[in-house]
Amino acid sequence: MSFVKKCLVPRLIQYFLVTFLGLTTAFFLPRFLPLDPVEQRIAQYQAFGVYIPPEQLEEIMNTLRQLYGLQGTLWEQYGIFWRRLFMGDFGPSLARYPTPVIQLIVQSIPWTIGLLLLTTLFAWVVAILMGGVAGYFRNRWTEILDGIVMVMRPIPYYIMALLCLIVFAYIFPIFPLSGGVGIGREVSFGFDTIVSIVKHGALPALTLLVVGIAWQFQSMKLIVQGVRSESYVWYARAGGVRERKIIFHYVIRNAMLPMITQLGLQLGTIFSGALVTEMVFAYPGVGWILYDAVMKGDYNLIMGIMCISVVAVTTSILFLDLVYPIFDPRVRYR
Amino acid sequence: MTATEELLQIERVTKVFTVGSFFFKTRINAVENVSFGIKPAEIFTLAGESGCGKSTIAKIILGFEEKTAGEIVFENESIAHWREKRQLFIQKVQAVFQNPFESFNPLCAVDDIFFETVYNFHLVQNEKEAIPFIDERLKAVGLSFSEIHSRYPSELSGGQLQRASIARALLTNPSLLVADEPVSMVDASLRMSIVNLFARLREEMNLSVLYITHDLATAYYVSDRIAVMFRGNIVEMGPVEEVLLNPRHPYTQLLRDSIPEANPHRKWKGSVRVANVEEEEYLQKGCKFAGRCSLAEERCRVDFPQETLVDGVLVRCHRYN
Ligand SMILES: Nc1ncnc2c1ncn2[C@@H]1O[C@H](COP(=O)(O)OP(=O)(O)OP(=O)(O)O)[C@@H](O)[C@H]1O
Ligand SMILES: [Mg+2]
Repeated sequence: MSFVKKCLVPRLIQYFLVTFLGLTTAFFLPRFLPLDPVEQRIAQYQAFGVYIPPEQLEEIMNTLRQLYGLQGTLWEQYGIFWRRLFMGDFGPSLARYPTPVIQLIVQSIPWTIGLLLLTTLFAWVVAILMGGVAGYFRNRWTEILDGIVMVMRPIPYYIMALLCLIVFAYIFPIFPLSGGVGIGREVSFGFDTIVSIVKHGALPALTLLVVGIAWQFQSMKLIVQGVRSESYVWYARAGGVRERKIIFHYVIRNAMLPMITQLGLQLGTIFSGALVTEMVFAYPGVGWILYDAVMKGDYNLIMGIMCISVVAVTTSILFLDLVYPIFDPRVRYR
Repeated sequence: MTATEELLQIERVTKVFTVGSFFFKTRINAVENVSFGIKPAEIFTLAGESGCGKSTIAKIILGFEEKTAGEIVFENESIAHWREKRQLFIQKVQAVFQNPFESFNPLCAVDDIFFETVYNFHLVQNEKEAIPFIDERLKAVGLSFSEIHSRYPSELSGGQLQRASIARALLTNPSLLVADEPVSMVDASLRMSIVNLFARLREEMNLSVLYITHDLATAYYVSDRIAVMFRGNIVEMGPVEEVLLNPRHPYTQLLRDSIPEANPHRKWKGSVRVANVEEEEYLQKGCKFAGRCSLAEERCRVDFPQETLVDGVLVRCHRYN
């Protein structure tokens, strides 16, 4: 009862409010841009040398407006936006007319989630274990590990991704140079498909893991070093609490709290894809179609991805807020 | 090792810390040739300003820091031997720290570590026996099991937490309690109740207390003997009445004179002339107090003074040589 009243209800209200505001922003932002997508489109056609007879111009513009959902007043558009949103309809893709935006997103989202969810979770777990050990025990091996990470950290991600690509796909062609199982192809769950997915996903996953582990390793290590010298750790040790219990119940557990927050925030950003990874490895995820959409001025697709990202981020924050009290008694029933 | 009547004997213990960055390393003797003993059922105060090495001594006794030189004997056995039976040593030597809010894991209920302790030391067989056992110790400090049961540190007051941390330390029936500034974070009214608690525990449980503080008022009130430290050295040591009512060393005089009367909000630390550079004083050649001493002479800056026994009080000052 008190959980529902004090915790769940305020959080839910906050959740719906923030989501509403986020989606509203996603709607208004493009409309306040000084660019008129319709005119831009026409200019694009003309730049490609398409001749548009003046008497047809008005008609074409009207059709385009309809496609973009730009008919009527702003408020009418806003109403239509919500109505369509609830049905998961973001209109047709403009670049790949008439494929619905939602279909493009649904096609690429499993790839993105498959890659990012797995690598994010795995990197998080590994980083916590490694960072925990390196922060708690100081010896030659952890110093070496620390040194390696310290050297690797400043390497820009795209350079590392390209290096991986050159080494593992070009010099030693273990993995394919690009692509997942082609976009739009029916995915059948056979052995071959799985092998193909693993083969195509291995390199992007590897680079994401290395980067993800490296930076989270460093934060976990620093946090553990801080917690290790906290007064309550000394008090427990002076009281004869066993070392194993101190490591897990006192140090790792307390150090986990900021890491849990970090994970929650990361999970929210999964749905907007990993642009650079997908670009370098030509991996058919959300980041890729978003990039494509931006380049081609595919407003409907951009808005579709924006809306899904907004909902994903707010939902993961809600989830985080609700599970966090399990780990931290101090915020229970506040 | 000859048998002594002391429970804990510190003999010429030195601790050297290397401080500073890579190129400008200096070695400071945070503790230098310190010797003192604590008798059974004695409350022994270690006093001195911030950074004089009090906590370092406590950490060395508790085994958290390695001493650079010297010997520590507990129950007539070298501390080196005790390392092999660490758990038994911990059972006999317990500790209480300065900040009660930081003594308990903020993510664990306060009673967690009580249960942990009673099971670890096999003091009880099961939870049924554990609760009355824990409750009894909590009663001794004026708390009860129901007051801390399933409560988190953030839900208790500083005074409750500090008493709980003492109760937890008493679970194993220790013979020595190392209390590092146990009252400096609690307010004045609670200070007395905690110090009174030490006095009572000494009577009832034969507990010895190493009471580390810079609060001379409570030290005077509760302890039998006192050692005043300055920059790693004991400058004066003896019965608490002798030392505090009739201080011989200029530093002790300075300390005593700066005890604020009936004003708990003023810290005595504020009125002491603050060391210009702590490290500089540590590295000083002669008497380390010479720079601040109004009676300092030429030899004070050159020669390190030896300890002299004056009316049962050890003084480290050239004026008594
Ligand atoms: N781990 C360490 N490394 C380097 N120097 C240290 C270390 N621990 C303590 N010191 C130094 O040793 C000196 C004594 O420190 P200590 O903590 O024993 O002082 P203290 O008397 O307990 O002071 P306070 O009243 O502030 O607790 C200080 O100058 C401190 O900077
Ligand atoms: Mg201290």
